[in-house]
Amino acid sequence: MSASAAVSEPVAERTVVITRVFDAPARLVFEAMSRPEHVRKWFGPVGWPLTLCEMDFRVGGRFRFAMTGPSGVQNMPFGGTYREIEPDRRIVYDNGFEIAGAGRMVVTISLEEKAGRTTLTMSTLFDTVAMCREHVGMGFEQGTNSGFDQLADLVASMVRSRG
Amino acid sequence: MQQLDLVFSALADPTRRAILARLARGEATVNELVEPFDLSQPTISKHLKVLEGAGLVSRGREAQFRPVRLDAAPLEGAAHWIGGYRRFWEEGFDRLEAYVETMQRKEKGHVRKRRRK
Repeated sequence: MSASAAVSEPVAERTVVITRVFDAPARLVFEAMSRPEHVRKWFGPVGWPLTLCEMDFRVGGRFRFAMTGPSGVQNMPFGGTYREIEPDRRIVYDNGFEIAGAGRMVVTISLEEKAGRTTLTMSTLFDTVAMCREHVGMGFEQGTNSGFDQLADLVASMVRSRG
Repeated sequence: MQQLDLVFSALADPTRRAILARLARGEATVNELVEPFDLSQPTISKHLKVLEGAGLVSRGREAQFRPVRLDAAPLEGAAHWIGGYRRFWEEGFDRLEAYVETMQRKEKGHVRKRRRK
């Protein structure tokens, strides 16, 4: 698919939104996301620690992460550039795997504090609809999501037990 | 086709997923796989060929029984992609939630200490 075709694809079809409410003020959630010593403690699924975590947390600064799975081999690094930073409110960065031809995504994180609780909204805009589907795991065999969830659990436990 | 494509087309079938789930508990002969699935032996063999092509299973050498076993390695790559993105972040946010809680506790602890002084 050419870049121009990608740009014309509807934004809604290549965006994924994830929200989460934290029982904590926005400044703490922001702090936990903005410093490598904190990010290392929570990023990613259990069993996949960040073994590379470089963060130059300022607008125009770059970050570079990589995780190591149960097999002990470090996975492909990924990273990008911080585009917007608004303390305690908003972080925008682009991200992608460090491999030729890998698609990019633009991630917007916004924090909304109300009565001591913080709603985090993470919106990811993928380059193309195809990339979005690839990452989110939908689009092939629709309606079997629960089956895939179970499979993902199974795969995770197998990978763990063999690692 | 790339291996990830092969893995996904292999996984995009409920019978093949069930076969993998069965093999995750231990290797089995084709006959042992035919029984629980209520499918003909050629049908099971056809599914096994697809799984074999994706590198997800391999067959033993013993000519008569040739037990089928699971090869989990290609699944590790696939695991990242299976419903991956949302799941990845949901799990990360679970951990972030717990981590922010400890940050908050520490902070309150410090405030209390300071006040006592």
